Amino acid sequence: MYRSQKLAVRYFVAAVALFGVMIIAGLLSALYYLHPSLLFDVFNFNMAKIFHIDTLVIWLLMGFMGAVYWFLPQELGREVEGIWLAEILFYVFCAAVAVVSVVFIFVQYGGSNEFSLWFINQGRKYVEAPRWAAVGIVVVVLTFVYNVVATCIKARRMTGILWVLVLDLIPLTLLYLDAFPALTNMSTDLYWWWWLVHMWVEGTWEVLIGCIMAWALMDVMGTSRRIVETWLYIEVMLVLGTGILGLGHHYFWIGTPQYWLSIGGFFSALEPLPLLGMVVHAIYDAGAHHMKTNNRPAFYWILAEAFGNFIGAGMFGFMMTLPQINLFSHGTQWTVSHGHFAFWGAYGCGVIAILYIAKQKISGVNFLDGRAWKWGFGLLNFGLIGMVGGLLIAGIAQAFYERAIGGSTLMAFMAGQENPWFVSGMYARMGFGLIFAAGYVVLVYDLLSAGKHAPKSAVKTQAP
Amino acid sequence: MTPYALIYTAVLLGLFVLAGGSYGGFYSVGKLWTNAAFIRTGIACYLVAILLALAICLFTPLAALWKIFIVLSCLIYAAIPPVTWRYLAKLHRTPEESK
Repeated sequence: MYRSQKLAVRYFVAAVALFGVMIIAGLLSALYYLHPSLLFDVFNFNMAKIFHIDTLVIWLLMGFMGAVYWFLPQELGREVEGIWLAEILFYVFCAAVAVVSVVFIFVQYGGSNEFSLWFINQGRKYVEAPRWAAVGIVVVVLTFVYNVVATCIKARRMTGILWVLVLDLIPLTLLYLDAFPALTNMSTDLYWWWWLVHMWVEGTWEVLIGCIMAWALMDVMGTSRRIVETWLYIEVMLVLGTGILGLGHHYFWIGTPQYWLSIGGFFSALEPLPLLGMVVHAIYDAGAHHMKTNNRPAFYWILAEAFGNFIGAGMFGFMMTLPQINLFSHGTQWTVSHGHFAFWGAYGCGVIAILYIAKQKISGVNFLDGRAWKWGFGLLNFGLIGMVGGLLIAGIAQAFYERAIGGSTLMAFMAGQENPWFVSGMYARMGFGLIFAAGYVVLVYDLLSAGKHAPKSAVKTQAP
Repeated sequence: MTPYALIYTAVLLGLFVLAGGSYGGFYSVGKLWTNAAFIRTGIACYLVAILLALAICLFTPLAALWKIFIVLSCLIYAAIPPVTWRYLAKLHRTPEESK
């Protein structure tokens, strides 16, 4: 194994650990809806929510970085340039996450001053990490970019996937600079903040996972480079074409110009079209290789990614993205339902597939299968579908009673929160959340134990 | 938009995409296994998508431009699975096979 791949394994371990923290914080956040006075003034809802969302961002980011560190030396047939620096910064990254977590648990918030901004909480949703840590993240990401670009230069070789990756890393890095607040006007600030959140999630991350999945397809199914690269170009063009201006579908209730609502509605309504193409592609590829693979868990998680992305981002998104609907559904549990499904489908499943690819190589087995992964796969996906179903019911009740009937007043909000449909949805979310958590435990168990007893010789490829 | 219109419009929009996706899924599986029953199920799903598009146009308070958008989307949905499938088949042919 290359040193870069050893580093990738460390990133994967950290990502899985943070995935667990995300689940615990999510379950805690769900509990507050059932018991609103839970941990009152000790650890309030807002802190649990910060943990839940920030760890989501970090575990996926670590998963992506790990995936690139895993595949890059394979792609170029050489060690990653400046790997020693990346190794040091991995520990710096982990230490920063740990310190920020301790501050979030024990200090939580400070006064409206520079000290709080630098050392406690930046106060910007999803990028709450204090500024010192945000600077640290920039340094880590810049090192990551240096590793990728310098390795390509030293290798004197570029592939189609690497071109897409390198070009994607530029906006990925630049957009994060938008995490540093400098504006005091709330509308202007939110306008630009959405550039970071939306362009990362529906732009640069989509391209990044596209590159990673291209490598994964070559690895798991033996798809030819010519095919994955051609498809990657098409997907990137379509996803970016529909995704970038879809930005406008977030611009509700924050004082942005009205024309954004139609622009956002139109482009984001186009998003299911490329996702439908991905579903067809996934089925074609699985069939073209006669469903043969030497890594069944990775294969099924890749398939889950294509279908989850279509339903979570495509169907759940389309349901609420047209301005007439979005006006009412915006910021309700309906949005949360869509967000959970879309993140899981687009990114979560993809990163888990990569974990299994790495697991197979580390175990040295030629054929990875077993029973535990099926339980993990089933419980995680069943739990997720139940959770988003519960959230959807709660969100629709909220949009209906609180927004459309009640007119979004405070009293309407309270009535909406007490509505039996809303409460039932929240109980369902909690119950299915526990199933999801059980799936996580099985996943971790499987990642630790899979392949231990499998034969390490004799190449074997089986159809599922 | 009335509160009830909000709900049924959203549900119709979601089902419309789901029907389009099911068409793509069944069509592809049918082509993969050369199974006419799956392809027919896919076409049935597409017919459901047409009916849903029609219901969106007739019964929802969406503006006229959005209804046109839905009709155009419905037409594009018809083309995506076969066009993508043909393109993928062409892409998977080796250069020798193409000659």
